[in-house]
Amino acid sequence: MINVETARQVLEEVLKKGAEQAVVRLQERVYEAIVYDTGVLRSYTVGKVVGLGIRAMIRGGTGYAYTSSLDRDSVSRATGKAISLARVAGELGKKSFAPAPSIRDRFRVEFRVDPHAVDPKLKVDLVKEVNTNSMKRENIVSAVTRLGLERDRRVVLTSEGTEVEVDVVGVGLAHMAVARYGAVIERVSDRETYIGGYEHIEKRDWNAFAKEIDELAVRASQAKTPPPGTYVAVVDNEVVGLLLHEAFGHASEGDGVVAGASILKGRVGEKVASEFITIVDAGVIEGGYPVPYDDEGVPKKRTVVVDRGVLKGYLTSRDTAQELNLEPTGNARAQDVSFDTLVRQTNYYAEPRDWKVDELFEGITYGIYLRGRGAMGGQVDPSVGTYTFSIGPSYIIRNGEISELVRGVVVSGNILETLKEVDAVANDLRITTSVFGGCGKGGQMVRVGDGGPHIRTRKIVVGGD
Amino acid sequence: MIENIVERGVRLGEKLGVSEIEVYAIKRTGINIVGTVRGIERISAGERIDVGVRVVIGKKATVQGGLISRVEDVDAVVETAVKIANTLPEDPQWISLPRTLRMSQVEEIVDPRIRESDIGYFIDIARFLLGRASEIDKRAFTSSVNIHTATIERAIGNNYSEALREESTELVVSVSVKATEAGEESGYYDVYLAPTLARFKPEEMISKATEIAVKTLGSKRVDTGVYELVLIPRVLAGVLQPLIVPAVCADSVQKGRSPLKNKVGSQVVSENLTIIDDGTHPGLVGTRGFDDEGVPTTRKYVIDRGVLKGFLYDTYTALIEGRNSTGNAFRSVPYSTPVPWISNLIVEGGHGSLSDLVKDVRRGVVVYSTIGEWLSNPVSGLLNATITNGMYVENGEEKFPVKGVVISGNIYDVLKPVDIRVSSERESCFGRFVLPALYLPKITLAGK
Repeated sequence: MINVETARQVLEEVLKKGAEQAVVRLQERVYEAIVYDTGVLRSYTVGKVVGLGIRAMIRGGTGYAYTSSLDRDSVSRATGKAISLARVAGELGKKSFAPAPSIRDRFRVEFRVDPHAVDPKLKVDLVKEVNTNSMKRENIVSAVTRLGLERDRRVVLTSEGTEVEVDVVGVGLAHMAVARYGAVIERVSDRETYIGGYEHIEKRDWNAFAKEIDELAVRASQAKTPPPGTYVAVVDNEVVGLLLHEAFGHASEGDGVVAGASILKGRVGEKVASEFITIVDAGVIEGGYPVPYDDEGVPKKRTVVVDRGVLKGYLTSRDTAQELNLEPTGNARAQDVSFDTLVRQTNYYAEPRDWKVDELFEGITYGIYLRGRGAMGGQVDPSVGTYTFSIGPSYIIRNGEISELVRGVVVSGNILETLKEVDAVANDLRITTSVFGGCGKGGQMVRVGDGGPHIRTRKIVVGGD
Repeated sequence: MIENIVERGVRLGEKLGVSEIEVYAIKRTGINIVGTVRGIERISAGERIDVGVRVVIGKKATVQGGLISRVEDVDAVVETAVKIANTLPEDPQWISLPRTLRMSQVEEIVDPRIRESDIGYFIDIARFLLGRASEIDKRAFTSSVNIHTATIERAIGNNYSEALREESTELVVSVSVKATEAGEESGYYDVYLAPTLARFKPEEMISKATEIAVKTLGSKRVDTGVYELVLIPRVLAGVLQPLIVPAVCADSVQKGRSPLKNKVGSQVVSENLTIIDDGTHPGLVGTRGFDDEGVPTTRKYVIDRGVLKGFLYDTYTALIEGRNSTGNAFRSVPYSTPVPWISNLIVEGGHGSLSDLVKDVRRGVVVYSTIGEWLSNPVSGLLNATITNGMYVENGEEKFPVKGVVISGNIYDVLKPVDIRVSSERESCFGRFVLPALYLPKITLAGK
């Protein structure tokens, strides 16, 4: 079991060995996954990660060392390694860290039922029921149902006196259905995550959740791919979240800006999106993944990245904040203790405006309604702004009405062009997170939240066959 | 140490009366160096030991594990696994863990220079790469360099067989180059990933990345339409991995998620394509003496001159069909349930060079990089990738740079035409692919 006292001892040791500044991180994460595949229990796994990471700073050099062994010898080796690497790094270049407030706090997600303490049989029975019911539905040839239960406890101590503990519990269920229609097979997947205990699993009707996915997969298998070209699009909450995270969020991360690898570098104060767009990164928000403090122990503030179309700033860690002459925004995050931090988003979303969702469709003679259910995600090249997304089964819009379903929808564009083309933003803000995935960068995966309201964009490239 | 973890875990499982037990342990030790325009940003180092325990009681199976600190920590993992296995329903398809653990002979998987992790040597490489792009072309600069070295010790044992142990090394060097001119920006990255330094050529790597970043400055979209396409080897790797690899893995086939189900013996792609899975190929990161459940790795034809020859199996999927594992068990993390996956994927070469393929293009695009190709759909076979670096080609000549264009189509239609061609020159890409360049006569691009 990790605790603040252990971290204090390590901090004391690394400072005694010569570090001028230091950050000590302890982590204990348990992830439990139950997977039923096409009527058979495919796996029941529980993985546990416990470890210690130490960042030492000496004369402008930074060294990071980690160990999964918490015995005295291993810890001593790790502190020694962090010191020696910091000395090597200090000879190669100098780096400094923006000051951060000294904070003592403990953040804990409240829950009623500890998901890891629930009888394994009950959990298996739930997943089995949802999966086997799905397999009974007409035209469903394969289905994978997954229960994910996670607890992640992190302790961060700094030489400036910060001592924070963050304890997050999350639960969720994911379902993928594969439907066949003639020679065409198509899949649709979706997942739902709650931050809190197993009580959230107990109160949701998961059979109804899976049924909707199954029915969409069956309809998608009978749908065509859209004609390729440029479309007017109404974009739903989930796709807006994906789009902002990939297309804009990564380019607003301070490390990319400092490295000259972001298309947003040097554009603070410039108009980068339509006046209807305000983009925020918030650490703790309804529906999102809670990040009250980052892995440098800095409070994750509500950061306004774009205010009514104008770029206001970047997401920063302590070193990138120093470099960019900004305040640290609390966005230094690491997958686990075997990695030092990178600048990452937390919960990145667009703020709602006044339009009703229905109003966004008005006046569109031919367009597309981009839907997130079944979306696989996206990718961006932040240095040039090109992005691409794989969207879920979507609908063609004809004369303001939602028309036929289309499958295999992929959209592409340029960050700065797409957000400038937004001409309406609805009032239905929705943010979601997931215990089944997250955001990947530099070989590290972290949990994030994203979302926004429905929006309308005048121009987006849609690929098709 | 890791053999001790394996032996201790197996013994405890036997003592607790389980039907079968398998313990897999892996220790990774390594360094990371991160450099940006500001110079060497940070250096980190560490070691971690992961363990995965698979326990079977009757036909009830579970996998537990995680990071552990000491040999004795495996006890708690085994005890939890036994407790959970007892509560599970039976898997009617369960037959057995592998009965014999053995190793194939493999070469070039350890490099002493990587194992010794000489920090000074790798810092020099990082500094060279950081400074070199702007020397080659003043419009370019290196925006980031990441170097990661690892020494990997793996051990596996089960109640049927003595434990196996193997050591390998791994080097990952990735470099990103950015170019700017007259308000236009472009970027390109390259990666070296291999168990040894044998084929590592930093000058060639940075020169190529710089050349492509610079020549794709001022990219634009082409009109939506049908074009010829030339994919360089790493772009082909990006297409094969999400679409063909899952489709040839036996679990996808058995569960009805592969478009290749019931097609063994049929022509599924052009006869100019031959695809081999080879876990024994020297010097690749998928090269191992044994797979992730202790079965020897092998070399086998997956697609021979366009004809599907067979699928990739782990022990579980193989025994369902009454056959032997092909040595393709893979764990995404050490404590996950093994599934079939490629070891290394080799596509046989054809005729001519990349430039020969480009010379014969009448109206098309040569693609140097894409994003989003991993979002393609292996179940339906729908390919989607967005070009980030490409050159429009007319009558064999590169005319102007292209980006932001979506490549779409069903992979089995795209790879079917008889006039598909592959180059004789091949490259190792992303550590586990050895591939030629590929010419596609007809594909839809969504652009303007």
